[in-house]
Amino acid sequence: MSMPSLPLFLSQLFNGLATGLLLSLISAGLTIIYGTLGVLNLAHGALFMVGAYAGFMALQWTGSFVLAIVGGMIGALLVGLLMERVIVRYYYQRPPEDQILVTFGIGIVITELVRLIFGGIAKPVPVPSWGEGITRLGFLFYPNYRIQMMIFVAVALLLLYLLLYKTRIGMIVRAGIEDSLMVNMLGINVYRIFLLVFGIGAMTAGFAGIVNAPILAVTPDMGEPFLVMSFVVVVIGGVGSFPGAIIGGIIAGEIISMTSMFSSAYSHVTLFAIMAVLLAVRPQGLFGIEGRE
Amino acid sequence: MSEDNDQKKPKSGIVRRDFLKAGAGVAGGLLLSGGLGFSRLAQAAKSYPAIGNYPAGIQGSSVFMGIAVPRTGPYSAQGEDEIKGYQLAIDHINKGTSLAKAYAPGMNKGMLGKTIEFGIADNQTKPNVAVQAISKFISDKKAMMVTGSVSSAVAIAAGKLCDRERTIYLPAITGSNATTGKDCQRYSFRACHYAYTASKALAPVIKDAIGSGKKVAYLTPDYTYGHSVYNSMKEFTEAQGWTTVNNQLPPLGTSDFSTYLLNIANSGADVLVNICFGRDAVISTKQAKQFGLLDKMTLVMPYMAPFFADEVGADLLQGVYGTTEFWWTLAEKNDMAKAFVDDFEKRNGRKPGWSAHIAFLQTMLWARAVQDADTFHPPTVVGQYEKGNTIQTDIGDVHWRAGDHQLVRPVYIIRGKKPSDMRNKEDYYDIVEGVPGEKVMPPLSKFGCKLGPVS
Amino acid sequence: MILSRLARYSGGRPWVAELITLIVLLLCPVVLPLLGVSADIASRILIWGLFGLGFDILFGYTGLLSFGQAAFFGTGGFVAAFLLTQTGLQDDVFLSLMIGMVAAMAAGVVVGFFTLRRSGIYFAMITLAFAEMFHFLELSPLSAWTGGENGLTGVPMPIVGFENWHIQISSGWSLYGYIAAFFFVGYVIAHRIVLSPFGQVLTALRDNTPRALATGHSVRKYKLAAFVIAAGYGGIAGGLLGVLQSYMPPDAVAFHTSGQLVMQSIIGGAGTLFGPLVGAALWLGMQDSLQDVPAIASAWMLILGIVFVILITVFRQGILGAVRQIFVARVPEAAQAKTELSAEITRRHHVTGVPDEHTNLDEVPDHFIRSDVSARQRELMIVPKGEASDGAALSCTHLTKHYGGICACEDITMSIPEGQLRGIIGPNGAGKSTFFKMLAGEVVPTSGHVFLHGADVTGLGVTAVSQLGMSKSYQINELFSKLTVAQNLAIPVLARVRGEFRPDMLKSMDKVPGLHGQIEATLEMVNLEARADVPVTELAYGEKRRLEIGLALANAPNVLLLDEPLAGMSPRERADTVKLLKQIRSGRTLVVVEHDMDAMFELAEYISVLQEGRLLAEGTPQEIKNDQRVQDAYLGGMEEV
Repeated sequence: MSMPSLPLFLSQLFNGLATGLLLSLISAGLTIIYGTLGVLNLAHGALFMVGAYAGFMALQWTGSFVLAIVGGMIGALLVGLLMERVIVRYYYQRPPEDQILVTFGIGIVITELVRLIFGGIAKPVPVPSWGEGITRLGFLFYPNYRIQMMIFVAVALLLLYLLLYKTRIGMIVRAGIEDSLMVNMLGINVYRIFLLVFGIGAMTAGFAGIVNAPILAVTPDMGEPFLVMSFVVVVIGGVGSFPGAIIGGIIAGEIISMTSMFSSAYSHVTLFAIMAVLLAVRPQGLFGIEGRE
Repeated sequence: MSEDNDQKKPKSGIVRRDFLKAGAGVAGGLLLSGGLGFSRLAQAAKSYPAIGNYPAGIQGSSVFMGIAVPRTGPYSAQGEDEIKGYQLAIDHINKGTSLAKAYAPGMNKGMLGKTIEFGIADNQTKPNVAVQAISKFISDKKAMMVTGSVSSAVAIAAGKLCDRERTIYLPAITGSNATTGKDCQRYSFRACHYAYTASKALAPVIKDAIGSGKKVAYLTPDYTYGHSVYNSMKEFTEAQGWTTVNNQLPPLGTSDFSTYLLNIANSGADVLVNICFGRDAVISTKQAKQFGLLDKMTLVMPYMAPFFADEVGADLLQGVYGTTEFWWTLAEKNDMAKAFVDDFEKRNGRKPGWSAHIAFLQTMLWARAVQDADTFHPPTVVGQYEKGNTIQTDIGDVHWRAGDHQLVRPVYIIRGKKPSDMRNKEDYYDIVEGVPGEKVMPPLSKFGCKLGPVS
Repeated sequence: MILSRLARYSGGRPWVAELITLIVLLLCPVVLPLLGVSADIASRILIWGLFGLGFDILFGYTGLLSFGQAAFFGTGGFVAAFLLTQTGLQDDVFLSLMIGMVAAMAAGVVVGFFTLRRSGIYFAMITLAFAEMFHFLELSPLSAWTGGENGLTGVPMPIVGFENWHIQISSGWSLYGYIAAFFFVGYVIAHRIVLSPFGQVLTALRDNTPRALATGHSVRKYKLAAFVIAAGYGGIAGGLLGVLQSYMPPDAVAFHTSGQLVMQSIIGGAGTLFGPLVGAALWLGMQDSLQDVPAIASAWMLILGIVFVILITVFRQGILGAVRQIFVARVPEAAQAKTELSAEITRRHHVTGVPDEHTNLDEVPDHFIRSDVSARQRELMIVPKGEASDGAALSCTHLTKHYGGICACEDITMSIPEGQLRGIIGPNGAGKSTFFKMLAGEVVPTSGHVFLHGADVTGLGVTAVSQLGMSKSYQINELFSKLTVAQNLAIPVLARVRGEFRPDMLKSMDKVPGLHGQIEATLEMVNLEARADVPVTELAYGEKRRLEIGLALANAPNVLLLDEPLAGMSPRERADTVKLLKQIRSGRTLVVVEHDMDAMFELAEYISVLQEGRLLAEGTPQEIKNDQRVQDAYLGGMEEV
C-alpha cells in the first residue's frame, strides 16, 4: 500500500492515543496489584467485564450513565475485595504458578457466573446522551464520547498517580513493592494494604470496563482480549512499574493504529513481534528493574 | 421451467390457486397416502444398503434432526431466530398441516410416518465447536439430518464432516461462494442467496440509485464469507465503472472498528460497502455513523443481516440498499409466505427474520426431498435433490442445481424506508426487486465445485 | 542396597506401567461402549492426554507454567493438515503428522528462545502473548495456508500398512486405535524421559533452579529441551485432532485451548504424566453428560471452574496426585507434618538465636558426621586442567562489586594455594557473601578477575565454574525440596558425570557410570545412609544441613566453598562438622566463611579478614588473633561472637 496521507496519519495517531490510554489504565490496575502483592491477576479481564455488567445494571435501574460508572466501579470493587478476602490472600505465600492458576480459575468462575445470570448475548450499553455527536478536530471527525472517554481515562490515571506518589498510603504501597517485609516491620498491617491495593486494582479494571462499554459489545468474554493486551503492555513497560504501564499502553495503542494504516491484518501481529524483539534486547521491559522476576 | 415463468413477480392469484389446491387436496391426499403407505412397505422389503446412519437412525417411530446454531457470539441473534424457524417447520411437519403439505405434497403427519425429534447445540460461531456438536448428533443421536449455520466457516466445516459421515447437512445462513463452490459437498445443499448472486443482483440497482463512477471502500470481515462478498461486489461494481479504493479486514467478532473506520474515512470513498454481518454489522455501522462516515458516504449492505434494522434504527437505514433472502412483506404477495409469517408472529410476537425463514425453508425442502424419494436412505435422498424438480415455495418456484447443490431462487433487493413512511414498527424496507435466480447464478465452473461420490 | 534404592525411585521396571497402559488402551474399545462412551469422546480424551504428556513434562516435571501451548498444538495441526489437504502428501498421514510435529518443535525453539529468558509470571504472560500472536497469524496473514477463520477441511483418514497389505482407518474405534497407538508411543517416550537422568535434572530444576544451576547443569538448555519436547507433543496432538475431525479448526490456536490444557492437567494432577488424560476425561465427560441435563447444561463450565479453584486451593496434586498419595505414601501424613514442624522449630530457634537443643520430635544421630569414611569419594574428583604459576588453586585480583551507588566489595586481591583450608571472617556487612558469590561465579564482578587453577573464570557463570571443579554450599539450605535425599545427591553427581547438558532422554538412571558409587560415598560421608529414601521435607534441620554440605561434596569438587557450614548447629554437631571438614580437605582446597571464630581458629591454616568490603588483614590464626585492627573491627561491629 502507498504511504498514508498526513490527515490519516494524524487521525490514527490520535486514535492510537485513545486506545493506548485505555490499555494503560487496565494495565496499571494489573501492574499495581502485581507490584504490591506479587500476584499476577489473571482474573483482571473478568473484573473489567464485571465493571461493564455492573454498570449495565446500574444503567438499567437509574438510567444515568454517571451512576452506571459508579455502579461499575463498585461492582468490580466488591468482586475484587471478595476475591482477595476469600481466596487470594491465602496465596501470598504460595509459588507464583499457584497464584496464576488460581486467579485464572477465579476468572473463569466469574465469567461463567455472569454468563449464567445474563446469558451469552451482548447487552446494550448506549452512548450517553451527552456523549452523542461528533467533534471535528480539523481534518479528523471523532465521536464525542470517545473524546470524553479519553478524558475520563486520563483523569483516572492522574488520580492513580496522585494516590501512589502523593499520599501516605501510596508511599506505603510503593514501599511494599520494594520490600513488604520491611513495611511489615514498620508496624503497618500489610494485609490491609494488600486488600486496599487489590480493591484499587479491581476498581480500575471495573472503571475501564464501564466507560468502554458503549463502544464495545458487553458479553461475558469481553475481558479476555484486554487481559492479553494488558500482558503485552506490562511486558513492554516492565512488570510492576506504574510509569511502564502508562507508556507501554500508549506504545501498544500506537503500534496497533499505525500498522493498521498499512495492513490491518498485521496490526496485532506487529505488536507481538515488537514485544518479542524488546524481550530479546531488554528482558525486564522498558521501565522494569533488572533481576526482578 | 421457462424463463418468463420464473421472472414473473409472484402474482398472488396464481400462487394462491396452487396453494389452495394443495390445501383442498386433503381428501385426495388421504387417498394418496394409502398408496404411499403401500410403497413404503414395498421399500422396506427392498431395503437399501446401510450407509451413514441408515438404517440405524430410522428404527424408531421418529427420526432425529440435529440443529447446531450460534446462541452466543456475534451471530447469536440470527442463531436464535433460526431455532424458531426450525421449531415452526418441525411442528408443521409433525402435525401434517396444510402448509407442510404445500411444500411436500403427499405428506401425512411426520415424514414417511415418522415424527421429527430434534436437538439443539450452541456452536458459538466457532467451527470447532460446531464440528464437535455435530459429531455427537451423528454418533450418539443417529441424526438423519444436521442443519444450522450463520457463519460460512461453520457451514463449510460442518458440510465436510457430514459428507464424510454420509449424513445430510443443510446450512442455513452461509454467504460464501465457497459453500457451493470449491468447498461444495455431495451431502450438503444451500438454499439461501450468497455473495455472487447477491452482488450480481445488487450492483446494477445501486448504480442506478447512487450514480456511476463512484469510489468504493469496503469493510470486510476477515474470513471466507467476507472475502467472497468482497470479491463478488468488486467484480460487479468495477465492471460497471466503479473503483475500489480501500478494503479493511476486521476479524470476525471485532468490537472496536475505529482504526478501520479512520482508514476508510481518509480513503476518499463515496460509497461504504459494509459486508459485516450480525452484531458486527450493527456495531460497525453505528460506529461509522459516530465517526461521521455516513454523512460523507452512501452505505450499502450487500448481505443484509436479519435484525440489522431493529438494532441500528430506521433513521440510519433510510435509503440504504441491500439484499435479503426473505422479507416479511412478501406475505402480501404470496399465501404460503403469509401462512409462514402469520404463524410465526402468532407464536413469537414478532415478524420472522430471514434467519427463521431459511431455517424453515431448508427443513421443508428436506421434507419434500424425503417425501419424493420415499426413503431416508441418504444417497437416494441426495439423488432426489439432484433431480432438480421445480418446487413451489413461499418465494416462488425454485429448483436445485445438481452440479453444485445450490438452490436456484430469487434474490430480494431491499431499500430502507423513510421513518415517516413506515406502516408499523417492523416495516423497515421496501422490496425494490425480486431478481430471479436464473439471472444471477454463476456458471457452474466459476467457483470450482467438484462434488464427491455419494457413497 | 543403593542400587535397589535408585531402581525404586527410577520406577523399578518401567515396562510394567507401560504394559498396563497398553492393556487398558486395548480394553477401551470393549469396555467403553458398555459405559456409553463413544469412540469420538475416547479419541478426544487421548488427544488431550497426548498433548498433556508434553505439557506435564514442561509443567509437572520442569515447573514451567506455559499458557501458550495452543501455539504448538496449532502449528503441528495446521502444518499436517496443510500437507494433507493442499499438497501431494494426501496419502501419507503419518509422514504429515511427523512433519507437523517437527514444525511445532521448530516453533518451540523460536518461542522458547524468547520466553525462557524469563521465568515465573513473566514466562506465563509471554507464552500467552506468543500464542495469541500465532492465533492472529493463523487467522489472517497466513490464511492462504491455514484457511484463516475457516480452518482446513477435508483432512483424510489414514491408511496403515504396506503396498498390498493395508487397512483404511475410518471414524469410530478404528481411528481410536490409530490415535491410541500414538498415545502409547508418546507415553512410553515420556515415561522414559522422566525416569532418565535428563528427567531427573528437570525435576531438580523445578524444585530449585538456582541450585540446579550451581551444581553444574545448564538450566537454559534443559528448559529449552523440555519446552521443545512439550511443543512436539502439542504438534502431534494437534495433527491428530485434524485427522479425527477431518477438519483443523482455527480455534485450536486460541487461548482457551491453552487454558483448557492447563486446567485439565491441574485437575488430573501435574507431575503424574496421566494427570492431563484424567483431567481431559473429566472435562469432556462433564461437558458431554451435563449438557444433556437441561437445568445445568449451561453451567458445566462454571462447575469445572469451581472444581478447579478448589483443587488448586486445597488439593494441589490433583486427582492422580491424591490417588498416589493414598496408595504410595510411605510415611503417614501426620508424621510428616510433625517432622516438618520440628524442622521449623529448630530453624526458628536458630534464627532467633536461641541455642538449638534437639527437640524430642525427631532423632538426630549422636554423631553428625561419621569419621570413618573411606576415601572412595575422591575417585571422581575433578582433576584441574591447568595450574597457576604461583600454585594457587583459587585467586582473585582487584575484585570489586558495586550495586548502584553502594559498594559491596572493593579491590580485593587474594590467593589461596592448592590444598589450603582458608578461613574468611569479618563482621556482618563486611561483604563476605558478595565476595563468595563472585568467587563461585554467581555474581559478576564490576571489575577484577577470578582465577581457578590459573584460568580466568570471571563472568563464566556458576554452571561453568562448577563444571571446572569448584562448588559451593550455602548458608541457607538450598535443597531440592520434593526429592529424596538420594535423589538430591544424584543431581550434582549427574552434572559431574554428564557435563552441563546431555539429552540422554531415554537412558536409564542405572546406566549412568559412577552415579551409584558417588551417591553412596557421599551419603556415607555425611551420615545420611539411613535416610537415603526419605523426602527432604521430612528431614530434621540438622539432617538438612548435612545434606546441604553433601550436595556440594557430591560434585567431587577440587575447590570447595562453604558458606557458614556451622550455622545453626548444636555444639556437638559443630564439633562433628569440624571433624568432617578436616577430613574432606584432603586432596582439595577449602574456603570457609564462618562466624564461629573458635572453630575457625582451630580449623583454618590461614585466615583472611574482610571489613566494609575491603581486605583488612591476612595471616595465620595466631597472627589474626593478635591483630589489633581485627580486634577493633570485631569490637566495633560484631554481634554474634
